[in-house]
Parts: sequence; C-alpha cells; structure tokens
Amino acid sequence: MRVGIPHFGNVHVAIGAVADRLGAIRGKDIIIPPPMTKKTLDLGVKYSPTEACLPYKLTLGSLIEACELGADTLIQARGTGICRLGYYARGQELMLHDLGYDARFLTLDISHHKFANLLRLMKDITNDTRGNKMWLGEVISAFFFGIAKLIVLDRMEKVLYRVRARELDRGMANLVYKEAVEATNDALSVREVRKIAREYTGRLNKIPQNPRADPVKVSIVGEIYVVIEPFANMDIEMELGKLGVEVERTMTLSRWVKYSLFLNYLGINEWRKVHKLAGPYLDHDVGGDGWESVGEKVLRAQEGYDGVVHLAPFTCMPEIVAQNIMASTREDIPVLSVACDEQMGKQGMLTRIEAFVDLLEFRRRKRDGRKVCNAG
Amino acid sequence: MKTYLGIDVGSVTTKLALLDESNELLASIYLRTRGNPVDMIKRGLEEIGRQMPLDSEVCGVATTGSGRTLAGVMVGADLVKNEITAHAVATMSCVPDIRTIFEIGGQDSKIIIIRDGVVTDFGMNSVCAAGTGSFLEHQAERLNMQIEDFGPHALKSSNPARIAGRCTVFAESDMIHKQQMGYPIDDIIYGLCQALVRNYLSNVALNKEVRPRMAFQGGVAFNKGIIRAFNEAFQTEVYVPPNNELMGAIGAAMLVRGEMGNNGRRTRFKGFGVSETEFEISSFVCKGCPNLCEISQISADGKVLSRWGGRCDKWERVETIR
Repeated sequence: MRVGIPHFGNVHVAIGAVADRLGAIRGKDIIIPPPMTKKTLDLGVKYSPTEACLPYKLTLGSLIEACELGADTLIQARGTGICRLGYYARGQELMLHDLGYDARFLTLDISHHKFANLLRLMKDITNDTRGNKMWLGEVISAFFFGIAKLIVLDRMEKVLYRVRARELDRGMANLVYKEAVEATNDALSVREVRKIAREYTGRLNKIPQNPRADPVKVSIVGEIYVVIEPFANMDIEMELGKLGVEVERTMTLSRWVKYSLFLNYLGINEWRKVHKLAGPYLDHDVGGDGWESVGEKVLRAQEGYDGVVHLAPFTCMPEIVAQNIMASTREDIPVLSVACDEQMGKQGMLTRIEAFVDLLEFRRRKRDGRKVCNAG
Repeated sequence: MKTYLGIDVGSVTTKLALLDESNELLASIYLRTRGNPVDMIKRGLEEIGRQMPLDSEVCGVATTGSGRTLAGVMVGADLVKNEITAHAVATMSCVPDIRTIFEIGGQDSKIIIIRDGVVTDFGMNSVCAAGTGSFLEHQAERLNMQIEDFGPHALKSSNPARIAGRCTVFAESDMIHKQQMGYPIDDIIYGLCQALVRNYLSNVALNKEVRPRMAFQGGVAFNKGIIRAFNEAFQTEVYVPPNNELMGAIGAAMLVRGEMGNNGRRTRFKGFGVSETEFEISSFVCKGCPNLCEISQISADGKVLSRWGGRCDKWERVETIR
C-alpha cells in the first residue's frame, strides 16, 4: 500500500514524522506530493466542477500529483458540517477513477470521534503496510512525534511573524523559516526537534531589526484551508510582512490538533469566547469557520488590533454569510475580505493589501493625534 | 523652486503631474499608453521637462497605477504607491468634506469611502470590467463616433433606453437590438450610461456606505452622460474635481512631497535624461519549479535594473531596487 495525502500547510511534516516512526519508507509507503504549484492548481481546476471551491480544487490537484507518483491509497477529510467538505472525498474519488487511478480513499471523519478515527486509520494503514500487527502504544507514540513537529513549527511561525515585520533586510526571516521547516521535516527524534526549535528561533531573533518599528497589527481570519495553506492565499501573510505588517492568526494546525483531538473531549471549547463575542450578531454555527470569523473580528477589535484580513474561498457559503455580518458589526475595525480562487490575480491582491495597510496606518495616526498623511 | 513629480501609469492612459511646494499644479500631461508604457513614460517626462518653469528642480518622484513598479524603476522613484491611496489623498486635499470617491479608469473602477479625513473602506472591481473606460470606448467605436461625443449625445436624451448592464457582452447585444428597434441614438447612449452606473453601484459599491459629498474622477469622469446618470441615481450633485483625470498623479506627487520633506532625503530621480535612455523589457519563464512564473525584467544599456513577477523571491533578490 502506498499512501498519498493532499498538501495542507505543514501537515506533510507531521505525516512524514508518523510514517518514519512506524517504519514506513517515505516515497515508497508514504507518498507526499511535491509542494503545491501552478501545476497542482491547473490539474485541480481542470478536473473539478467550476463552482467547486478552491480547497476542493487544490486538494484534488495534490491528490492527482500523489497518484502520479504511485499512490494507491489516499487520505482525505470528510465531515458533516454545513459545508461542501462532506462531498470532497466522494467527488474526488469518482474523478480519480475516471482519470484511471484506481486509488482507494480512506476518509477521516473530522466531525465526530476524531481521535479514535484517526488512530484507527493509522493502525489500519500500518498493519496493511507492514503486514504485522502494531501495538496501539507504538501508534500513539508515533502520533505524538508528529504533533511535536507541528507544535514546534507553529511556534517558530509566530516568531517569524514578529521578526518579519521588523527586519531591516526584507526576506531574511522567510529564508530562515524555510530552512527550519526543512530541518524539522528531517528530524528523527523529539530531542532533535527541540534542538532545531532552539537553534532556528535563535537565528530568527538574531536577524537585525529596526528597534523603533511599531508595525501595524493585522489578524488573519477565515476558512481554515485558505488561511493555513500559503499557496491558496497567494502568500498573503508574506506579502503583508513585506509591507512591514505584523500578522497574527489564531487558526493553526497544532491548535486544531490540540483541541479537536483532545481538549474538546474534556469539554473545553477553544472557540467559546469567540462564539460568545459573535453572539450579538450571530449566535449559531453557519458551517465552515463562519461563526469564528465573525467572533474573531469582535475579539481583535477589543484587543486593539489595527485590522482584520478575512480570507474566504470564492463561493464559500459560510464565509459569505460571515462577510456580510462582519460588515455591519458595531466594533470599529477595518476588514479586508479576499476571495481566493484560481482567477485571483496577484497584482490585484497586492494593490488591495497595499491600500489596506495605508488605510490602517492613516487611522492609527489619526487616533494618535498625528497628521494623517504628510501630503496635506 | 522645489517641485514634486507624480507619474500615474494606468492600463489605458499615462498621466504626469508636477506640483510645487504648495500643491499648485505647474505642469501636467495626459497620454494614451497604447500598450507601450515605456515610451509613454519617456514622452511624458520629455513634455514635463519642457513645460516646467526654468528655476525649478525636481525634489521627489512618486509612481502609481498598475504600471507603478515599472515606472518606478525607470525613473528612479522615491515612492511607489498604490492608486487607491493616491486618489484619496489628492481628493481629500482639494475637497476637505469629501466622504465618497468614485473612480472609474480604463480598466478598473474603485470606490473609496472617507470619514473625517481618513479612508475607512474601499472597493475595487474584482470579477469584471463592465462599465470602465475601455468598454465605453469600444462602444463609441462601434457607433462610429468619438468617445468625446458620447457626453453631449447622452445629455440630449429624454427617454433613455433600458440596457442590460450586468455584462458588457449582453449590454452590447442589447444596444444592437435597441438600434434595430429604431431607438434614437441619444437614448441608447444615455441608456448605456445608466446601465453602467447601475452595474457600478451593484458591484463595486455593494455594501459600501455611500454618503455625500461625492466626487467622481478618473478618465470616465470626462463623460457627461455618466455624470448625469450618477446625479440622477443619487438625486444629488456628484462633484467632478478639476483635473479629475490627473488625481492619481497629483496624489502621488503630494505623498512624495510629504515623504521627502519629513526625512530630508535626497531624491533618486534620474533626471529628464531618462527619456533618452534605451530601456529593454523582456520576460522569461523561470523553470525552477512547476509554477513556471513569468519573470519580467527591465534593463537599461545592457544592465539589469530590476526583475519582478515571481511567486518566490528567487529573481527579485538578485537585484534589489533599493
């Protein structure tokens, strides 16, 4: 069995780690498709219904690339939320069959019993691959190794956000972070992962920065796939960083794992506060991450952020609902909504974010009683 | 005398404006880009050099518009600014109580919402270019008239034809249909203007709080028919500032004046001699990964000045502009 996965942020690092621990060989037992490129997008767009959303198209493209490399078993998420995610696996499976890839789909239900489902899935795969029975303990230990890598990467990313907005030589922080991801991906033990985290965090912090910089702070909210996968949002975080903006986002893979797989079972809901804040405007789930987007806007306004960038796949119903509600809340914080799809032009996006950042800076100057712009 | 130059390279036209220290317009030029921004920028510079008062020197240059990066590299700009900010700054300084700006150019249309002298929201056409200058021009050509004559015709209409404005292709077939039905040309033209304004308001201005006082600028603001349609849609006078077509360039010049004055920086402007320089623009496809990015490259006298267009920093970092 050759298991293929679609790309999603740094998920491949965690999957690779789990595979290593369980004795699977990368490239043979586990197929991680190449990083997403225009080719992935073109493949996905070509074989998807036009009205499907970008995450569907991108994951399909990524799965096709995994099949091209010989994957015969594919992992895809499914759910029962008010969103098209429920149809992803089935639709993609049919399309892959039509294309002549006789791949088996293993779906992971992320709406109910996530942890048990995930462990069962991992156990099935490993038993099948190695031919001998696995101890549950081994599977769990491998699983935690994967999570450790995700946690470390997300922590380093927070440092990246801070440094990128202040660095003197634009682009340095990105280079270091890229190396850090590579190194983490190759690490073989938790100890090594910790060492890498220390080393690269140190290197990031040592990048020469402007000590007087007071960057505009922007929070990224929206649909989880386009928020987390940089290819889907045309590296919007990096582009904002280049403009000297400090970005922040609540939604990360390690946070999702921590709560959805563990703490939610103990009755701890990571979004409780956000849902409560959204309450006056929206008091129930509208599917996807719509409810969270509305609540986060309110939260960020209270926390004194300068702005919110709202990312949504084009035609994403939950986020369209959220976008319209966000436009009319009392909290006074500018929101830039960006619809992500294959038609999105990078130049247009850059013009919008540049203008948005100017808007935020002018507002800040006005609030501080300074001259709004030097031109007057 | 200290002067500041703003260059707005749009999709259809190139605008240059030279301001003095009190934002007085000293020289300006409005050119059609005709798909050749490099030559137009050079011609524009030449013209400004000729119009400029003798005792003046350029102390700062800013570029804006969709061709801002290219123009910035060519002339040695001190500031490269997006056109939304540039327009807002220019209009706020000449109409202090402004609250809404409509800007319709060659290929894009924008709305800028201003409250108490600060931009609070903006919107840009994202899905379609219906109702922009290029389309109007195309229709004028089809009706065999100059685009400048569109306005006077529209003003004569008393019973405008209802034209579908959601999509320009359908608008065109609707116009043909109405012509064949024997509608007077004035009514068809004004009907088209109304359709474009409707389309603008339901697309670009969707969910935006449009409040007076409103200004209408950009190349399309020359069209009296569109102005009339805006006035009728809002039941109020939409103000068209003088030099409406230059607002982007003026705003850029004002911004660079502020920037240079505050920092006491020396300008990087390469001088009017730029119009003599031979620029070479080329592009190639980077084969580093399957993204196959199209990298644009501009060189002068065989020396690469800048590259852009990549998804990653690979080519941009080879020669950084600054």
